[in-house]
Amino acid sequence: MFGLPLAFAAPAVLAALVGLVGLYFLLRVTPPSPRRAIFPPLRLLIGLDPTETTPARTPWPILALRLAIGALIILAMAEPLWNSFAALSGSGPLLVVIDDGFAAAPAWDKRMDFARERAQAAARGGRIVAIQTMSQGGQDVAPLDRAGIEGRLRSLSPVPYAPDRAAALPAVERFLAREPNTDILWIADGVEVGGARAFSARLASIARSVEVVTDNRGALALAGADNEAGALTAQITRSDARAPATGSVRALDVQGREVGRAAFDFGANMTVDARFDLPVELRNDVTELVIDAERSAGATWLIDERSRRRRVAIASGASADVAQPLLAPSYYLKRALQPFADISEWHDSSSDPIVSLLDQKPSVLVLADMSVAPGPELDAITQFLDNGGVLLRFAGTRLAAGDDTLTPTALRRGGRLLGGALSWESPKHIAPFEAGSPFFGLAAPDEVTVSRQVLAEPETGLAEKTWARLADGTPLVTAERRGKGLIVLFHVTADTTWSNLPLSGLFVDMLRRIVAEADAPGQGAAKAKVGAHGTVRPPLRTLTGFGVLGPPPAQAEPIGDDFSGVGDPFHPPGFYGSRDSSRAVNALAEGQALARADYGPLTVHEGALAITPPIDLRRWLLPAALVGLMIDALVSIWLMGGAPLRRPKALAALAVAAALGLVSVPHQLRAAEAAPISDRDMDAALSTRLAYVMTGDATVDETSKLGLTTLTRVLASRTSAELAEPVGLDPARDELAFYPLIYWPIVAGLPQPKPEARTRIAAFMKNGGTLVFDTRDALTARPGGSPTSEALWLRTLLEGVDVPELEPVPHDHVLTKTFYLLDRMVGRTAIGQTWIEALPPADPNDRVQRPARAGDSVSPIIIASDDLAAAWAEDIDGRPLFPLIPGGARQRELALRSGINLVMYTLTGNYKADQVHAKDILERLTR
Amino acid sequence: MTLPASIRRDAVTLSARLPSLIIAARRVAQTVRHGVHGRRRAGSGETFWQFRPFLSGEPSSRVDWRRSAREERAFVREREWEAAHTVWIWFDRSASMQFGSSLAPVTKIDRATLLALAFADLCVRGGERAGLLGLTRPLATPGVVERFAEAIATDERLRGASQAPLPPALPAATRSMVLMLGDFLSEPEDVARAIQAVSAEGAIGELVMIVDPIEETYPFSGNTEFLDPAGALTVLTPRAQNLRDAYLARLAAHRETIRAICARSGWGMSIHRTDASPAEILLALRMRLSAPEPGAGLRSA
Repeated sequence: MFGLPLAFAAPAVLAALVGLVGLYFLLRVTPPSPRRAIFPPLRLLIGLDPTETTPARTPWPILALRLAIGALIILAMAEPLWNSFAALSGSGPLLVVIDDGFAAAPAWDKRMDFARERAQAAARGGRIVAIQTMSQGGQDVAPLDRAGIEGRLRSLSPVPYAPDRAAALPAVERFLAREPNTDILWIADGVEVGGARAFSARLASIARSVEVVTDNRGALALAGADNEAGALTAQITRSDARAPATGSVRALDVQGREVGRAAFDFGANMTVDARFDLPVELRNDVTELVIDAERSAGATWLIDERSRRRRVAIASGASADVAQPLLAPSYYLKRALQPFADISEWHDSSSDPIVSLLDQKPSVLVLADMSVAPGPELDAITQFLDNGGVLLRFAGTRLAAGDDTLTPTALRRGGRLLGGALSWESPKHIAPFEAGSPFFGLAAPDEVTVSRQVLAEPETGLAEKTWARLADGTPLVTAERRGKGLIVLFHVTADTTWSNLPLSGLFVDMLRRIVAEADAPGQGAAKAKVGAHGTVRPPLRTLTGFGVLGPPPAQAEPIGDDFSGVGDPFHPPGFYGSRDSSRAVNALAEGQALARADYGPLTVHEGALAITPPIDLRRWLLPAALVGLMIDALVSIWLMGGAPLRRPKALAALAVAAALGLVSVPHQLRAAEAAPISDRDMDAALSTRLAYVMTGDATVDETSKLGLTTLTRVLASRTSAELAEPVGLDPARDELAFYPLIYWPIVAGLPQPKPEARTRIAAFMKNGGTLVFDTRDALTARPGGSPTSEALWLRTLLEGVDVPELEPVPHDHVLTKTFYLLDRMVGRTAIGQTWIEALPPADPNDRVQRPARAGDSVSPIIIASDDLAAAWAEDIDGRPLFPLIPGGARQRELALRSGINLVMYTLTGNYKADQVHAKDILERLTR
Repeated sequence: MTLPASIRRDAVTLSARLPSLIIAARRVAQTVRHGVHGRRRAGSGETFWQFRPFLSGEPSSRVDWRRSAREERAFVREREWEAAHTVWIWFDRSASMQFGSSLAPVTKIDRATLLALAFADLCVRGGERAGLLGLTRPLATPGVVERFAEAIATDERLRGASQAPLPPALPAATRSMVLMLGDFLSEPEDVARAIQAVSAEGAIGELVMIVDPIEETYPFSGNTEFLDPAGALTVLTPRAQNLRDAYLARLAAHRETIRAICARSGWGMSIHRTDASPAEILLALRMRLSAPEPGAGLRSA
């Protein structure tokens, strides 16, 4: 408006500004009330001919002020917005298309603000506004009113996958067919994935005008994690060179705790790896990788147990391994296992290989052509299996010749030779894997041939035990559950003498799957049961668009075992399956790169999202009007002469007006004020001190303060307790935890403290503090009579507070022995009853006459009635402030001693109850 | 006498303020008496006044034989204070006297009461009798101030605050002196009637107009509504400053009228502004009491 970024949400109200003219005349003829003055010689004034007869007019400053107030209020009612988009051109309907894939999540709030501003501005301008998101492309686009816009935008959240933009086209086309003049505003995420180029090409051809707004940042995403030997590597990709080049990736365990953190630096590249140098046990705990400060499902990589790294121990029966390493089976195994497992080999020739390897607690024990003789080895392996280990065996001449029970199926001695000189048959190929097999889904390449194998004895159940077959149906890999463990047997060797399987990539994949079986209890069995239909894994926890794991949405569907894609609307990224064995689905495919979107012919406003939100000027206008009204009122009062305002008073009133205006202005300022620890609390935490509760009665508070000050001084001079100055507390506001003892004089007439105070004192008592209530009613209380008003007040206060059982202080209570030996607590009066937490009854078996008893802890509450602080209180010259009843220096001394005992009791607890046995203890020790 | 403003506001009735006024009155009276002593050293009661011829019918004990022996006639020796003056005091307690502007330290009635009590004290200590017109008989006790105060308080309690702007028509005896304190803003005819009534038997007196400074300076301007202290009348003027000259002229004329009325009865008239010292006017009154100069008045103060 007028070239300013100013707009009015309700411009019609501005018409009321015309009324200011009327207001002007109205105000002009209604001057402020005359100043009223009492004037005794009034009679002399009567009948004087006033030389001036024109009626009084409102002075122009007041007139201007009042008109300004009116104008301010009218302007405020018109809801002025600074930095608004109302000035933007366009008159037809506005369709806001929003990318809501994971790439949009990091700047989601900004996108929503932008969409809101633009949509609201258009709606204010009377344009039809509709909103379409990519993920809800199937729904028809409907125009929205202003409230509808707000509601719709509030209901939106980014989806955890990259929605297919083409799906949103038909609805957009239908809307355009209805409203051909539509301007399209596409708030895009700047990432190609999801078909940005095709979508923009299509939009350009059908729409009158399309404006693309992106942030100029691009997206960061995780595209894979590799649990390699020695380190966990996360692959990070970015869509744009302007995306943050450095950052860090956090590795989280299943409970969301940070396990490790790795920095990355793209440099000039578009992909980079971040390495976590962690011990394998920790790496195996990692279930989630998250790019720091990048809240999106794409910046989260879920890791299931398939990529968990296992420790695999390899033992070989061949002794010549070392001499010809390329011919040793362990060489092939090592090469095949290295990418996904940590390998331990037997090197120490002095010990038994299998036992020493199993001592390293591997997940998988590989026995390459080795037979297991009964004895410690067999026992060790049996126990290993019982604990859930996987025993992977390879056939060979020794196995074929040997005879042990650690095979999934009985083997026929001797084996089978194919394609040899004496054989009719050619080397066999591997048959495609069946659905029930863990290898299902792996391709069986043609070039893999098997020329020799050991044969399984045909027996019932052999088919279920078979994981892989040759083309003629003979088992190539068999497996059997043994205890919690699993025995897998390759009917060929691990080297190339019997087949070229160890040379193929299939071998690596097969080993990977077998190793993945380790630590997955019950899975094999489940697999065997499910058999041909394959395992169905229901969604367990899925990611939101912001990369937070949560319960799966309603439309999430289970995945099958063969699911290998990325997340989509029906399979949002997350964990699927059971808690024990879950499968991760991620937003990006492994190794996928994010590409920067190419919007082709469309005009792109990059970085336009970074708008400053419009400022609602009402925030300033209304307080300004309020301040103006106050000034007007002050001036009117002054003109009337009703209250002769002296300058300081007037200034003070103006200051109040200004302050009122200020406090109503900035929400931001108020939000910022969060001082976590006040100086007072800091001070209180640093030095021990007594405290009293400020009741609100000035005399009582002053008495408490002086009394505790005296007590503190006496404590410092007579005991080793050198406390700091006592402080007054408001239990509703102040933290009580710092004070060992809080003195609370009861004043009956005052209102009860706020409910927060009650919670605080309950917590204080629970946490070991001692509250000393002083009802100060010893003179009015009658034993057995009706409770005094102070007692009633205290009762009301302690309602709902967990107060322990109380008893009058027994004569042998440790409170009377902590420093001085006292008969009773004495204050300003010496007749009141002091109540304390009831002690457990004396032990009847205790033969020794104990002079003092104590409970296990300090009593959280002591209720005195003798007005303790008044007895202690002294003025600055050390003169007592209050007379004592009955009086005398001795009573004052006893009162101080009571206070010292009280403080000592709260500070030292029950140890004095033990100290009184010191004599006995010493006697016992010297005996 | 300056009291804190809060006390002034609280003590709405005159009786509530009387104790402090008594003390102030005594103090002022003392100041003035000391001033008189220092100048005149007049002595008390024993002063020879005059010899006059013996009139038949007088008691023979009054004859001054020593003087009579020199001539053939009998003379009577008169002493100066033998027959003390009676001083009647009256002060205005009406609503308009309750007024005290921000320019004045006290209200008009406070000042009037103070003057009345102090003057009574002065008179009694000077050997004369003082009475409150219409309230007490002439008293010569040293505690006259308290007695007056009691009388005022009793009157207020029984009859409420007096609203009469002018004294009751009680003629004072010959040779007695009347002191009238008030603002005398009533119609001059009423004032004249009241003075004539009081001085019907030949009493002379003094009229002191108590004026608030604001009534003399008229510091008003702008749109102002003037209120009668009793609240009955209002005058609204859009430009109060334009009335100033006319008002001041009229005020002067009013004063001249009153002065003329006083002079007609042989009375004096003086004007006292409440921001001036009470001792000043009191001293002047005291001097006038000692040297009655009928009709002269006190133009100062």
